[in-house]
Amino acid sequence: MRESEGMTEAFNPFTLSGKKIIVTGASSGIGRQCAIDCSKMGATVILLARNEERMRETFSHLYGSDHQIIVADLTVFDAIPSMVETIVSRVGKIDGLVNCAGISTTLPLKLMTTTKLDEFFRTNVYSAVELSKEVSKKKNMNEGGSIVFLSSVMGVVGESGKSLYGMTKGALLSAARSLACEFAKRRIRFNCVSPGAILTPINEHLPHMIDPEKRQQLEEKHLLGLGSPEDVAYACIYLLSGASKWVTGQNLIVDGGYTVR
Amino acid sequence: MDRKNFIEKFAEALEIEEMADLQEATEFRSLEEWDSLAYLNIIAMLDEEYDIQIENAAFKQLRTLGDIIGYIENNQ
Ligand SMILES: NC(=O)c1ccc[n+]([C@@H]2O[C@H](COP(=O)([O-])OP(=O)(O)OC[C@H]3O[C@@H](n4cnc5c(N)ncnc54)[C@H](OP(=O)(O)O)[C@@H]3O)[C@@H](O)[C@H]2O)c1
Repeated sequence: MRESEGMTEAFNPFTLSGKKIIVTGASSGIGRQCAIDCSKMGATVILLARNEERMRETFSHLYGSDHQIIVADLTVFDAIPSMVETIVSRVGKIDGLVNCAGISTTLPLKLMTTTKLDEFFRTNVYSAVELSKEVSKKKNMNEGGSIVFLSSVMGVVGESGKSLYGMTKGALLSAARSLACEFAKRRIRFNCVSPGAILTPINEHLPHMIDPEKRQQLEEKHLLGLGSPEDVAYACIYLLSGASKWVTGQNLIVDGGYTVR
Repeated sequence: MDRKNFIEKFAEALEIEEMADLQEATEFRSLEEWDSLAYLNIIAMLDEEYDIQIENAAFKQLRTLGDIIGYIENNQ
C-alpha cells in the first residue's frame, strides 16, 4: 500500500518537462492560459502574438525560466520561416505548437464579402497552416512532436451568423486529419481542440455575450455552464504530453456538453 | 540543365540534410527518407520547378537521381 502511494506521487503522464512549446495568441484569453499552464507543467514556452505589452503580462505569470516572447503578426506569412529559425536558434528544436491565434465574428450571409472571407481565412487558417508547415520541418521539430489547432464547436455544429467563423474552424479539423497521415511516420501528431463558449476578449463584444437574453440562452445550451480558459488549456496539455502519444487526427471537444443534444 | 541544382531541390523536397549522400548514381528508393509522401513531394516538385508531369508507370522505370535528370532533359 505504501509503495503504491509512493508511485502516485511520481506518476505524471501529463508532464511537459523538458519540452519546448510555442503558443500563438499568447497575449490573451485561451492562449495566455495555455502558456501559463504549460509552464506550470514544466515546459519552456515561446509566446507569440502582435501585442508585446500583453505578452509581457502573460510572461509575468509563467513558472520556470528560459521562456521567450516573439512579437509577430502571423498573417505576414513571408516572415514565418526566419521567425521559426530564430526561435529554434534560441531554445533548440520544438516539441509542441498550440495555434490559439484567431478572430471571431457573428455575421449573416447577407453581410459576407470575399474581403471578410479573406481576412478570416488568413488569420484563422493560413497562419496556422504556414506556421505548422515551418515548425514541423525536420530541422525545427523533434520526433514525437505535437501540433494542436484551436477549432471550435462552430466547426462541428451550426448557429445563425456563424458560417464565416465556422468555415475557418471546419477547415482546421480537415487539415488535422490529413496532416496526421502525412506526419505519422515521424511520430508528429496533429489534433484539434474544439471549445464551446468561453468568455474572453474574442467574444466579449459579440451579441451572444452582451445581450442578456441571448447570453442566458447560450449558458443554458452549455449543460455545465460557460467554460473558462483553463478548461481548454488542460485539453491542450493532454495533447502536447506523452499521455496522448497514440492520439492523432482527432478533435477533442471541450464544451460543457453544448454538442451532446 | 543544372544538375547540382536539381539534387539540391530533391534534397529540399525530402528534407535531407546530408547533401553529400546524394549523387547522380544514388538509387533514391533506397534512401531512408523515401516513402509514399516523398514520392508525392517529388512529383509535385517536378511539376512546379520543371513543368514535368510524369505518370506513375514512367516514374517506376527511374532508379537513380541521374535517371530523373535524364527524364527531365528528354521531356522538357
Ligand atoms: N473564447 C471562445 O469562446 C472560443 C471558443 C471556441 C474557439 N475559440 C478559439 O480559441 C482561440 C483563442 O481564442 P480566445 O478566446 O483566447 O481569443 P482572444 O482572447 O481574442 O485571443 C486571440 C489571440 O489571437 C492573437 N491574434 C489574433 N490575430 C493575430 C495575428 N494576425 N497574429 C498573431 N496573433 C494574432 C491575439 O493577439 P494580438 O492581438 O496580440 O496579436 C490574441 O492573443 C481562437 O482561435 C478562437 O477562435 C475560442
